[in-house]
Amino acid sequence: MDEEEYQKMIKRCVRCSVCKWIPQVQIKSQKYASACPAIDIYNYHPYSGGGKIILALAYEMGRIKPTEELRDIVYKCTVCGNCAVACKYMNTLEPLEIMMKLREKLVGEGCGPMPQQQAYIEAIKKVNNPYNEPHQKRTDWIPNDLNLDPNAKLLYYVGCTSSYRRKEMAIAAGRIMNKAGVPFNILQNDEICCGSPILRTGDTNTYEEILNKNLNTIESKGIETVVFSCAGCYDTFKVDYPLTRKYDFEVKHTVELFDELIESGRLKLTNDVPISVTYHDPCHLGRNAERYEDWDGDVLPLMPLVSINIPPKPKRTGSKGIYDAPRKILKKIPGLKLKEMERIQEYAYCCGAGAGVKSAFPEMALETAKTRIEEAEDSGADIIVSACPFCSTNLQDGIKDKKSNLKYFDISELILMALGLEPEKLKRATEEVVYNNVR
Amino acid sequence: MLDKEILNSFQKIVGNENIDDGEVITNAYAYNWCIEFVNYLENKEPIPFSSIPKAVVLPSTTEEVQKIVQLCNKYGIQFKAQSTGLGPWNQPSTDNCVILDLRRMNKIVKIDVKNLYVVVEPYVSGAQIQVEVMKYGLNIHMPGAGPMASALASHTSMCGPGFTSPQTGHSARNVLGTEWVLPTGEILRLGSLGLKKESDWYSGDGPGPSLRGIMRGWVGTKSGLGVFTRVAMKLFPYPCDAKYIAEGHSPLYDFQIPDFIRAYLLDCRTFKHLEKSFLRIEEEEIAFICSHMSSFAVMAIFSYSLESLMDKIAIGSMKKPLIIVIAARTKREFDYKQKVMDHLMTELNLTNIIGSKYEPESLFYAECLRANLGYHGFIATGGFQSAKGQCDTAALCLNTERKNIPLKQKYIEKGVIANDFAEGAWMTSYESGHYFHMEVPTMFDQTDVESVKGVAEYMEESNQMDLLQHLGVPFFIEGDKMHDEWGPYLMNYHNWLRKIKEKFDPNGVSDSGCYISSKNGGSS
Repeated sequence: MDEEEYQKMIKRCVRCSVCKWIPQVQIKSQKYASACPAIDIYNYHPYSGGGKIILALAYEMGRIKPTEELRDIVYKCTVCGNCAVACKYMNTLEPLEIMMKLREKLVGEGCGPMPQQQAYIEAIKKVNNPYNEPHQKRTDWIPNDLNLDPNAKLLYYVGCTSSYRRKEMAIAAGRIMNKAGVPFNILQNDEICCGSPILRTGDTNTYEEILNKNLNTIESKGIETVVFSCAGCYDTFKVDYPLTRKYDFEVKHTVELFDELIESGRLKLTNDVPISVTYHDPCHLGRNAERYEDWDGDVLPLMPLVSINIPPKPKRTGSKGIYDAPRKILKKIPGLKLKEMERIQEYAYCCGAGAGVKSAFPEMALETAKTRIEEAEDSGADIIVSACPFCSTNLQDGIKDKKSNLKYFDISELILMALGLEPEKLKRATEEVVYNNVR
Repeated sequence: MLDKEILNSFQKIVGNENIDDGEVITNAYAYNWCIEFVNYLENKEPIPFSSIPKAVVLPSTTEEVQKIVQLCNKYGIQFKAQSTGLGPWNQPSTDNCVILDLRRMNKIVKIDVKNLYVVVEPYVSGAQIQVEVMKYGLNIHMPGAGPMASALASHTSMCGPGFTSPQTGHSARNVLGTEWVLPTGEILRLGSLGLKKESDWYSGDGPGPSLRGIMRGWVGTKSGLGVFTRVAMKLFPYPCDAKYIAEGHSPLYDFQIPDFIRAYLLDCRTFKHLEKSFLRIEEEEIAFICSHMSSFAVMAIFSYSLESLMDKIAIGSMKKPLIIVIAARTKREFDYKQKVMDHLMTELNLTNIIGSKYEPESLFYAECLRANLGYHGFIATGGFQSAKGQCDTAALCLNTERKNIPLKQKYIEKGVIANDFAEGAWMTSYESGHYFHMEVPTMFDQTDVESVKGVAEYMEESNQMDLLQHLGVPFFIEGDKMHDEWGPYLMNYHNWLRKIKEKFDPNGVSDSGCYISSKNGGSS
């Protein structure tokens, strides 16, 4: 969103509170009608999507100053985008983009990001990951019998969280590709953070440095396809990078790749997995994974105060996220029963971890995770499954804190079970790497 | 900001985290829809910010509300209560006001299936109640503001016509037992809730005290006379099968249209024939929805973007549209209603455009059932507000609409309001044609100062026209200035309203900006 559009749009909120709820025609119960973790927890209107638009206007008009009070409200938001889906059901406002622009402005004023977020940004600058882990340990997850192909045109971009915190996801992704006979490689020590945790805080300058480093690395290797098991990395590459710099390679999330492999018969899910699961749509794989479409049309003044776009300007409604692929996979697993939660797809409730909230406001992240876990429990499923390492960590924290009987699995782990491999065994993998060419 | 001692007193009631007098929170609560032209009419800068509240308080119980109100009396601070908060009626009118955001009071207290009522707290939306009572095959009345709005606010404090008014009436008619924190801090329980023995929520007018006229009258006091903390509201049979499934993705969800529902779009061509048709159809008591809208508004309710609205320009050629939805729970009931409609269309020489020339998206039916049609008014310019707002006979409502056309045309030609062929109106019957509601939605651009000024001047001129040409009382006659202007023409009602205010709010702490103050000619 450019400055001119921002200045116009921040005057347009009608304060209807639609942003606080999932789309009205999707509400199925009082309990699960709400859309926004921030307003659910903190209650004051400025925590909502519409409230943030008002803050942006008040800030531009000089009514409020860049203070800690303002910063706390602006950063107590997971940038999940559910407010934008609800608003754009009928309107054309962009509460999420306005909020991001406001963060950018606070960073420009030296008021943002939060200190904890600044700390992880410094860590990324220093050791290429937000966890401040040694860069050389980034590949520790790789088991000794995983086949990597240095000549592969498909790159598996592992991401920081899967490399350091959710290794089981990286291992499972690698195993499945091996099983399907898909040659792939990883960037090894050339892999660095995708920049998502930086971008979401509004530090666009640092983010752009990371973006350029990543694209330079990948483009120098002649890669045709980059596949991600991390929804955050995927969204950042797919949706955000092209807004700054276009690239030629294809990007896919592992659920898309695995769905294709299952459809084509290269992966055969034969083993019974007799469990009931509910699927949590990660925000970065769902509504936020919808690309911006180029539009080069004309604005035609139709009558005073009313202009229309010729051709119609594409509106990002969240409808083009990746919703079918994970569900198709789950439905193909023998014996598995899928039980949907009330809030799914583009109006799924956030896990609570994103956009630096887990580091700056852990209590908000945990509270939100517990809300989502309760919804999963109410679905009647025994297991909650998703496709994002950050959701994984936070939802598992929620399960633990809530003392829930629910179990969490990444979707790739369920695929492994259906393939007859044991996910637990994979978690004990050694650090040794075996390349195709040396075997 | 509040004096530290006063802030501490509030904190003792609600806890530190539930009161905020900081610059950021209070400024955000100063903003609302349409405040820019309210400011202009009060000779202030036409910006969308009202007076800044001294603090925002988030009570969670009736007792907390009571203590807050008592504290306001003690310190001479005004209060303004709000729930979902849409519109200028939620704003403080002075700099000496705290806002009570009732968001934490969000429980459905009771659903009485046998006696057909539901008891709710302020921050339960219409949609939230509907989905819960639908589980019993029941429905509630929702106002034109939409399903995201507080049902309690509509039922206790606002004028409340809705698209389903032919079946579900008006908010004022649906209020049963009510829990009311008076401006003095006393708690008053109305209707059967006020009984000393075996009190319950089933009736608003007795046994037990009935003060419905004082409590809300027709248009509500908009927090000018205390705070309503719980209310019972009537339930109605859900009009058809209550299975409600909308699949696919936003915005064009694929709604599984229930078996026994059908829409009719009829072009009545003239005001005279519209009146006759409206009355005749409603006489048969078969409509779930029966609304007259301008052709532009009909285009809007079938659209989900401005561009798709323009695709429906053929509908725009209609002269006096009437849209009807019938719904039934059994095939027999549905067959009967369809036969009646067939008969009426023959009798009135009308043709159903739906099914012959136009077929709406399935989502249209989902929005009819969820009362979400009003929101389409924002599609064209992003902003609209209604002039008029009458409750009267069909004849007077339509006469007002007709006479408003040249006035609206004048402002359209100035380029300050959007061109809806000057016919923009919405009219519904209440309770199968017993009486009617008409308002004139007007689309303007809230980011354009000239448009803001234009809509304000148009609304003022429209009010004057109603007064001088005896066209009825608009629903936005609010505040001392307007009551003083209208009162002398209407049996000096304003003097009586002031006496009520004085008795119930001797310290003038319940913000009078959208009601009336106890002092002649000035806000308290």
